Amino acid sequence: MVRLIDENGLRIDGRRPDQLRPIKMEAGVLEKSDGSAYIEVGGTRIYAAVFGPREVHPKHLELPDRAVLNCRYHMASFSVDERKPLGMTRREIELSKVLREALETVVFLEEFPRMMIDVFVEVVQADGGTRTAGITAASLALADAGIPMADMVAATAVGKVDGVIVLDINEAEDKYGQADMPVAMAPRLGSIVLLQLNGMMTTEEIEKGLDMAGNAIKHIQQLQIEALRRRYHIEAGGEEV
Amino acid sequence: MIYFKEAELVVPGQLLSDNGRRSGPGTYTMNGKVYAAQAGIAKAVEGVVRVIPVSGRYRPERGDKVLGIVSDIKPNVVEVDLGGDIKAVLRMSERESPPLKLTLGDVIQAEVKSAGLRGIFLDLEGLQKVKAGILVNVNPAKVPRLIGRKGSMIQMLKRETGCDFWVGRNGLVVVSGRSPASEFAAIAAINLIEREAHKQGLTERVTQLIKTLLEGG
Repeated sequence: MVRLIDENGLRIDGRRPDQLRPIKMEAGVLEKSDGSAYIEVGGTRIYAAVFGPREVHPKHLELPDRAVLNCRYHMASFSVDERKPLGMTRREIELSKVLREALETVVFLEEFPRMMIDVFVEVVQADGGTRTAGITAASLALADAGIPMADMVAATAVGKVDGVIVLDINEAEDKYGQADMPVAMAPRLGSIVLLQLNGMMTTEEIEKGLDMAGNAIKHIQQLQIEALRRRYHIEAGGEEV
Repeated sequence: MIYFKEAELVVPGQLLSDNGRRSGPGTYTMNGKVYAAQAGIAKAVEGVVRVIPVSGRYRPERGDKVLGIVSDIKPNVVEVDLGGDIKAVLRMSERESPPLKLTLGDVIQAEVKSAGLRGIFLDLEGLQKVKAGILVNVNPAKVPRLIGRKGSMIQMLKRETGCDFWVGRNGLVVVSGRSPASEFAAIAAINLIEREAHKQGLTERVTQLIKTLLEGG
């Protein structure tokens, strides 16, 4: 059995239970997409690209009253220790759906009838928390693409490790810990847009975890906003349009 | 009460005003308050709060002057490619002879008559064929900057380079001048405007660039 929390209460990577891994974000990193983002959360590295709103293909998926949001979560073959076979696994198909449902809650799809918005999330290096980092990056890429949204979505995971509730669990804690609970929120709307739980937690533990995640998500959203500001480096007093 | 600064980048979900009746394009209202829906620069014009997006594809609106390439000709309609996966339609249903002879590949300038679920229709009135020039693609979000306030930027470009410009709201621009050198100077200026649309002192830098290009060449 691996010991995940040491006698000082620190985790295997030296973090306190309520501490996030170092996060780096950048918007507008890919030239050929309408909007894009890159995120690093600890060892996790993800690119997200957004195309559209554009024509729906295949045509029969078209909706007369709103846009179709198409999400693809994919892990590169070299993103994990043992080569991941090419193509979409069952897990990737499920995560694509989960990601889409989280983003659908904030995007104003009804503004683009008969159109499609494509979101591609490509995991380049996986170290736990790829779905949450993927949502954070996808939301930043959507904002970079100029897609109207009610709020920017940010996400992180909480977990239970050696009986302690910890924030932003990494791969080792995910594998050997007792529970993993990814949370995505639209903080300014005060809504939870994704909540999954793998393992067992008591009601109190879940409440504590949600509290921790909520605070962390507010911080992550600040990082998203800073990344957008850096991307458009708008100077105060710039000339008017 | 207004909660944003002039020329500040606002992000989706940001609170802009607590008066929900003053909600313009690029914003949405919730519980009587106005929030930004897009990343862009917020402005309050005549009491209405709006967000001018800094990115995004072209969204056709009634009255927009656009440039397009004729992509298909059918018995009663002419299809026009507006770029960015958008196709518009010119209806030639009137009994009179068509105002212009159009063939595939022609570049035309027209006004958007209507844009909605049925598609995008262009107005036959004011339809013009662009006969010659170089076609350039500009990010549609940067077109207002290229035109400038009341057309100041584009007039300056005309004056400095001596070229003619057709600017479509959809991001297609045709430059036509007497010499290749002046056309290339104009295109370099357009690229500079597109790249540095949000920086200060752009007009001076553009004039400077055109001067060095025209005198150097």
